[in-house]
Amino acid sequence: MTEDQRPVVIQELESVVIRFAGDSGDGMQLTGTQFTNTAAIIGNDISTLPDYPAEIRAPAGTLAGVSGFQVHLSESDISTPGDAPDVLIAMNPAALKASLPDMQPGASIIINTDAFNKANLAKAGYENNPLHDGTLSNFRIYEVPVTTLNRNAVADVAGLSPKEINRSQNFFALGLVYWVYDRPLQSTIEWVNKRFKNKPEAIEANVRALRAGYYFGDTTEAFQVRYRIKPARLRAGHYRKISGNEAMALGLVTAAQKAGKPLFFGAYPITPASDILHALAPLRHFEVLTFQAEDEIAAMGATLGAAFGGVFAATGTSGPGVALKSEAMNLALMLELPMVIVNVQRGGPSTGLPTKVEQSDLLQVMFGRNGESPLPVLAPATPGECFDMAVEAFRLAMRAMAPVIILSDGFLANSSEPWPIPDPDAIPPIPVEHPTQSNGGDRFQPYRRDPVTLGRPWAIPGTPGLEHRVGGLEKSPDFGNVSYAAQDHQRMVNDRAAKVARLADIIPDQTVFGPEEGELLVVGWGGTYGAIHAAVAHAQNQGYAVAHAHIRYLNPFPRNLGYILQRYKRILVPELNMGQLSLLLRGRFVRDVISLNKVEGRPFKISEINKTITELMAGA
Amino acid sequence: MTIDTLPRLTRKDFVSDQTVRWCPGCGDYAILAQVQKVMPDLGVPKENIVFISGIGCSSRFPYYMNTYGVHSIHGRAPTLATGLKLANPELSVWVVTGDGDGLSIGGNHLVHTCRRNVDLNIILFNNRIYGLTKGQYSPTSPAGLRTKSSPMGAIEQALNPISVALAAEATFIARTVDVIQDHMGDVIQAAAAHKGVSFVEVFQNCVIFYDGAWEPFSDRGIRDDNNIYLEAGKPMVFGKNNDKGLIRTTAGFEVVTLGEQYSLADLAVHDVTSDTNAWMLSRLTYPMPMGVIYQVQRPTYNDLLWGQVAAAKTKAGASDLRALYNASDTWTVSDDGQPAQSGIKGEVPQEIDEAYFAEVMERVHANGDLIDLLSEMTIEDLDPQGPITVETSARMDNALSVMRQKDIGCLLVTSADRHLTGILTEHDLLTRVAGRVENLHEVTVAQFMTPRPTALPLDAPLVEALHLMSTQGFRHLPIVDAHNLPVGVISVRDVVRFLITAI
Repeated sequence: MTEDQRPVVIQELESVVIRFAGDSGDGMQLTGTQFTNTAAIIGNDISTLPDYPAEIRAPAGTLAGVSGFQVHLSESDISTPGDAPDVLIAMNPAALKASLPDMQPGASIIINTDAFNKANLAKAGYENNPLHDGTLSNFRIYEVPVTTLNRNAVADVAGLSPKEINRSQNFFALGLVYWVYDRPLQSTIEWVNKRFKNKPEAIEANVRALRAGYYFGDTTEAFQVRYRIKPARLRAGHYRKISGNEAMALGLVTAAQKAGKPLFFGAYPITPASDILHALAPLRHFEVLTFQAEDEIAAMGATLGAAFGGVFAATGTSGPGVALKSEAMNLALMLELPMVIVNVQRGGPSTGLPTKVEQSDLLQVMFGRNGESPLPVLAPATPGECFDMAVEAFRLAMRAMAPVIILSDGFLANSSEPWPIPDPDAIPPIPVEHPTQSNGGDRFQPYRRDPVTLGRPWAIPGTPGLEHRVGGLEKSPDFGNVSYAAQDHQRMVNDRAAKVARLADIIPDQTVFGPEEGELLVVGWGGTYGAIHAAVAHAQNQGYAVAHAHIRYLNPFPRNLGYILQRYKRILVPELNMGQLSLLLRGRFVRDVISLNKVEGRPFKISEINKTITELMAGA
Repeated sequence: MTIDTLPRLTRKDFVSDQTVRWCPGCGDYAILAQVQKVMPDLGVPKENIVFISGIGCSSRFPYYMNTYGVHSIHGRAPTLATGLKLANPELSVWVVTGDGDGLSIGGNHLVHTCRRNVDLNIILFNNRIYGLTKGQYSPTSPAGLRTKSSPMGAIEQALNPISVALAAEATFIARTVDVIQDHMGDVIQAAAAHKGVSFVEVFQNCVIFYDGAWEPFSDRGIRDDNNIYLEAGKPMVFGKNNDKGLIRTTAGFEVVTLGEQYSLADLAVHDVTSDTNAWMLSRLTYPMPMGVIYQVQRPTYNDLLWGQVAAAKTKAGASDLRALYNASDTWTVSDDGQPAQSGIKGEVPQEIDEAYFAEVMERVHANGDLIDLLSEMTIEDLDPQGPITVETSARMDNALSVMRQKDIGCLLVTSADRHLTGILTEHDLLTRVAGRVENLHEVTVAQFMTPRPTALPLDAPLVEALHLMSTQGFRHLPIVDAHNLPVGVISVRDVVRFLITAI
């Protein structure tokens, strides 16, 4: 430490929202992930939102190619990636332009000035350089020639091409942000060492870039203040960071283990669900049989075949995949076999917005099959809850002997949060019974139902004496022979619906956050939990009698849901679709609701929901 | 159960109680009868046989077999069969499909199932017409065929099922005819015996919508002059009087008459493993090749998949959910809501101990009695060393000097009330302390220990310790009493020493 070192103030913040934005080849997802990992390890509560183009490499420097990663760190319990970034790291003009509409006046922007050349400005559609024309006068701007500084720092590492040198500049930016937010470099350095185990020159370059960015923050005069976010007061326990897709994979394998079964996972690659397949594929030692099928249909068919064979079977896809799978899902319903179908929803219709979030497949999974085809539908509310719902889905599938659908979405799938690591021994086993004796004398009756659950026996091939045939044709009760008889069809349709409805006997009652009755109830489902919860909490702090009910069981609904809806004067239903839950609530409970709809490919902001709440309450 | 102890089954055992509902005279009856007749001879317990079909006349087949069965959806039978076979490789899984089901709507699945070489038996009933939907042309209908949907004649090129199967890399490809019963029986037996995907095309007659489609090859009076019944390794001879044969020319096969110019020795020999031979046979229509056209051995998908499971289990040990959940950077929040030490995962260091340990374990596995012994023995039998402990607030320099003095690889860390809260190992020193901390006097053990270590009671079976050490890479295991007070510690070295004396 030298004597003339300037004093740097460390200011404590409750929370901060940081967005890393650059070209899709700039490694912004990696940078954001590293920053998040470090924050999580030193104990901040975190919530992240990766936002990247569908194309692997959209044209460099263009708005279409901007890849962003937003992370919200806090010392208190947070539930969303944050409405507006407090800090933006813009690696090029396009990244700046794409992010500016989300920025509040007074926010800080760290800009890689080296990328603000004529060509890049033109690609981003800037006629004038925004650094000089007053565009940014409302913001606190830090101009940093990242590319040049990084090149100087890394230049003499032997064996690197100029391209490889520039590839490490995201680590320079990361190092700088680490300095500004007083984070340790250790965990990222360990990651680099592991990631580039056999490439010493890459380790050298990235670590040097990281350190150079950190020291730049330390030595330059530009940054007068450093910030520190105190560790969150999370509940005591052992934590890790987890995304929805990771949690879903862990939940599926846990369910199978808890039943003493192999897990079959049949899937066809599709964004944003593929990471579930990736997470399960290395788990062969858990008897996880991942099967990459030739198409979505085959993935569903194989899942069905595996379920018939007596293992725990699941598939994961997104809306377009569900469209293709629907026929085989309907067969699964007719065969009455237990399995789990995960739909990680994305923007639709058709190919739609593959990497963006939407909740627009609710009616598809409820009604998108021919005939009377009721299937149980669950929806986790947070990334960590994907784990619980995967286990729960298998439990319900076993009880009803039916395929169970889990509606995740692109936000839950890719967003991360701290996850209290559960004790596997505390998770109750999932009892499975395969009959070995006939239930009907000489002739086994595959469709003779349990009088309570209405589930049918899961007799599996290889069991002597229980040979039977199942199929997609309508059948007679009990014996399951093909039958088109009027009363048989009516009875089987009734039974298949009733066994799903009877799941309401074991699912938990709907809970409410806030007053048990009153002026306004905000009802949501799925990945919008965080934004709704925070908006309602904020409204409560403003003195409004507002409550929040988040539905995790969409079919059947919890038994007390109708009662709850009666207790409030008005119901507000925010959804990332054009009113699908609203339609179900109106139809099921004959209760009018107010819809708050948005399909912009992004999660709700807390402020959007809070604004609607305060408007409704002011007008009340 | 071995084949010897199986009760002798007959054709009747495979007949279900359902009334067969094909049109009178349909070729499906003959196929059903022959399959039911062959089943008892396969040496497979009846409960292990499953028939899976799609949609179409042929796909009613499973209802008439008194085995397990699924009548699925159009074209998708191979996908269900694949999932089923992977879930339970013990089963003998049969796919019954047709020219529309298998080659039109299900063409994609058929191709991919063949190339994967899942150990399935696929029987494709080819009648060159859509029967169940009452008479439209199919993907095997000859060009020009007039049907309800092609009143002026079909304008599509037909598919050749054998060529398709060959291009799709099937490992067993055969053809037979519904009414040539013995031949069909032999082909089905051969298909069942083949390990890998077996594809059998059956020329099957639809009496209603395309009667006589295969007449030259099925009519008793003329078929033997039009069919060649292939036998592996035998000369390709055919004809009612065995007076004709095939010779290989540069252009392909040529039909010759045996007698003055050609003898049996001149004829091509059926090389069942040659894909060139199979391709030429697949394109041949006179004589029409019957029997096993192609057969090679390739590892099956189901064997490879379960082989990976076995290999992964050997490598990673038994499944352990706790380890799986923790296979990421983790951190602990203590009761005061503050983060304690994080457990950043690095690579598990490979040390000489581990290789030696693996070798010893191999000897252990080879010795069943020893396993029993180890299950009965407890950690107490190992006579573990007493614990050397430090408190979480101890300075690191003190902790290190204790380790040096006592020449030990780890310290157990306790809270002020003596409960086990952590473990400080050589590995921690190597990865978290060395080169990172300047003044060891200023830092405490709490900052560098691994919190909440896995610990065992004294009465835990020795195998449990072995299991944890081999799957988790632990080199030291704390031993605690019922109140979580440390009573000892065992190391890999202790275990190895013990094993050597025991073996």
